[in-house]
Amino acid sequence: MNKLARSIAAAGAALACLGAAAADKELLIGVNDSLTGPGAVYGLPQANSVQMAADEINAAGGIKAGGDVYKLRVIANDDKANPTEATNSVRKLIDRDGVKYLLGFCCSGPTSAVASFIERENALMLVGNAAERAITAKGIPNLFRTRPPADFTGAAAGTFVGKRGAKNVAVIGSLDVGFYTQYLEAFEREFAKAGGKIVAKETFGLKDRDMTPQLTKVRALNPDALLVLGYVEPSAFVYRQATELGMKIPRYGFTSGSEEQFLRVATSEQMEGVWDLRPTELTVEALADNAKTYVANYTKRFGTPPSPSSPYAYDQVYVLKQAVERAGSAEDPKKVTAEVRKVTVPKEAVMKYLPVGGTMFDVNGQAYTSNGAFQWQRGKWVYVSDLPSDPALYSEFLRGLRK
Amino acid sequence: MIIEILQQMLNGLAIGSVYTVIALGLTVVFGILGIAHFAHGSVAMSGGYLTYLFGERLAIGFFPAMALAMLVGAVIGLLIERLAYRPVRDAPHINAFIIALGLTMMVEGINLLTFGADQVVIQTPYRGVFNVGGVAVAELRLLVILTACTLIGVVALLISRTKTGKSIRAVAQNRPAAVLMGVNVNRVSAIVFSVSSALGAAAGALVGALLAIAPGVGEGLAVKGFAVLILGGLGSIPGAIVGGLVLGVSESLAAGFISSAYKDVIAFMVMIVVLLFRPEGLLGKR
Repeated sequence: MNKLARSIAAAGAALACLGAAAADKELLIGVNDSLTGPGAVYGLPQANSVQMAADEINAAGGIKAGGDVYKLRVIANDDKANPTEATNSVRKLIDRDGVKYLLGFCCSGPTSAVASFIERENALMLVGNAAERAITAKGIPNLFRTRPPADFTGAAAGTFVGKRGAKNVAVIGSLDVGFYTQYLEAFEREFAKAGGKIVAKETFGLKDRDMTPQLTKVRALNPDALLVLGYVEPSAFVYRQATELGMKIPRYGFTSGSEEQFLRVATSEQMEGVWDLRPTELTVEALADNAKTYVANYTKRFGTPPSPSSPYAYDQVYVLKQAVERAGSAEDPKKVTAEVRKVTVPKEAVMKYLPVGGTMFDVNGQAYTSNGAFQWQRGKWVYVSDLPSDPALYSEFLRGLRK
Repeated sequence: MIIEILQQMLNGLAIGSVYTVIALGLTVVFGILGIAHFAHGSVAMSGGYLTYLFGERLAIGFFPAMALAMLVGAVIGLLIERLAYRPVRDAPHINAFIIALGLTMMVEGINLLTFGADQVVIQTPYRGVFNVGGVAVAELRLLVILTACTLIGVVALLISRTKTGKSIRAVAQNRPAAVLMGVNVNRVSAIVFSVSSALGAAAGALVGALLAIAPGVGEGLAVKGFAVLILGGLGSIPGAIVGGLVLGVSESLAAGFISSAYKDVIAFMVMIVVLLFRPEGLLGKR
C-alpha cells in the first residue's frame, strides 16, 4: 500500500512537472518602435498596447496551440525613429535575443530599413502605424501591415475636401517623407477631379517647430484651405502658428494625433475647427465595444488615453495569437507566417478592418481600415463621417506596383 | 508683398531675439574669460525644463517661473565655474575645450534623466493676436522680444554702470593688470558664469514657450549661439545683439522667399559672406 501510495505520488509529481513545463513555454515578442524622439508619440503607445495585449492573453491562460500553452514575453527596443537604430535594434532582437516575431513599427523610415532585409530572416514582421506604401508594395512574404498605406487615405481625403467646396488649397508638410508625398499625390489627383488646385507646397522638417515663415508665404496667396501633412507635434505648431498669423481658413490635416498630444502644443481654441482626414483608427463613436474596453484598460494602466493609431499594434498581437493557434505551434515562424495569410479579423481587434476576399490581409500582406473625417470641436476630435474608400481596388493597384 | 516682408521680419525678430539672449551668455563668457562654453545650450534647456516644472508644480505663471529658473541657472553657472573651469583656468586652452565638450554631454544626460525624452512646450496665457496694418503680431512673440530686450538692457547696465561691471571689464581687458589693481578674478569669473547661465535659462524658457524643448535642441541652440558670436564679433555684446537679430531675420526671409529646406544653409551663408568682408565680425574689433 505504501509502495502504491509512493508510486501515485511520483506519478502525480511527474504530471505536475509536465504541466509546469507546458505552462512554461514562452513566446518571445520583439517590439521595435520609436520610444523616444519625434516618433515617440506613435511608437510609445504602440509598445504599451503590445504589452497590454500580451498581458491580457497571459492572464487568460496564454495561447493554446497544439498541445502547448504559450505565455507571451515582450522585449521592447527603441529605434528613435532612425533607420540605422532600427536596423541595429532588430538585429539585436533576432541575433542576441532569439526573437522570431517582430511587432510594433510606427514610423516609415526605420520600418523600410528593416523591411529591406527581413525577407532573408526566419522571422515574422508585423508592421503597425508606418504608412509608406512601399513597405507592402514589394510583397515581402513574411511582412504584414495592419495600417493602410497613406495614399489609400489621401485619395479619399481629396474627394472629401473637393466636395466641401475648396478650390485653392495650400499644402504645408513633411514633404520629404515618402508617405506624406504619396498621400498628397493621391489627394491632388482626386482633388483635381473635383476642380481643385494645389497653389503652394511648403516643406518643414521633422524637428522644425517654427513654421511661421512658410505660413506667412502661404497666407499671401489667399488659399481657400490649408492641408497639413506631418507628425503630430510639428502639425500642432502649424495649427497654432496659423492662428497666430490671423489665418481663418479651414485647416485639414493627416496626423492621427490624440487630443492630449495636440493640447501639449496648441490650445483648444487654436485647434477649433481643424479637420483630420485619416484612417478611422481608434474612434469610439465609429467602432465596436472593443474600442471602449481598449481605451478604458489602456487609460487605467498607463494613466493617459491611448493615441488613435496605437491599436494597430494591439491588433497585431491578436493576429499573431490566431496564427499560432492555427499553426498548432509557435516554433516555426514559416508555418505561422503561412497562417497569418489566412487569418480573419480577430474578434478582439479594435480597429474597423475592411477584409479583402474574406481574410484580414490581402495578397500584398496589407490590411485595410475604413477612413474617416474628424473635426476638432470644443476640445476633442469628433467623428463626422466615413471617407469613401475602396480596398479591393486599392489592393489591385498595390499588387500592380510589384516588379 | 511689403506686408509679407514685414511679417517675415517680425517672425525673424522673435527667433532672433532668442538667439541674441543665447549669444549674450556665450559672449560674456568668451569675451571675458576666453572659454568656448559649449554646454551653454544644454544649460539653456535645463532652464526651459525648470521653467516648465515651476510653472506646472507651483502654478506661479510663466514669468515668475522663468525668474526662478534663472536663479537656479545662476547657481548651476556658479557650480560649473567652480568645479569644471576654475581648476583648469591656468592650464592650456585645450583642457577647457575638452571640459566644455564633456560638460555638454553631462548636462544633456542629466536633462534626459531628470526630465525625460519627451518634448516639452511651456503653455502661457499670452494667446492674443493684434493686427497692425495687415501684419499679425502674436502677443507671445511680442513678449519674447520685449523680454529679450529687457535682459539685454539689464546685462548692458550691469557691465557698463556698476562696480562689478567695471571689474568684469577690467578682467576682460587685461587680467594680470586687473589682479594687480586688486580685482578678485575668482569672484568676477563666478559672477560672469552666473549671469551667463541665468541668461541661458531665460533663453531656454523663451524657446520652450515659443517653440519646444527636447533632447538635442540645446546643441542646435549652442551652434546658433556660436554662429551669432562669430557673426557679431567675438566677445562683443553689441555684436551679439546685432548678430542674433541678423541671423533670425535672414533665416525667416530665406525660409519665406527661397526655401524652408535651406533656411539654415542660407543663414550660415550670410555669416560666411559677412566674414569674407569683415573677418572680425559685424561689430568686432580688428
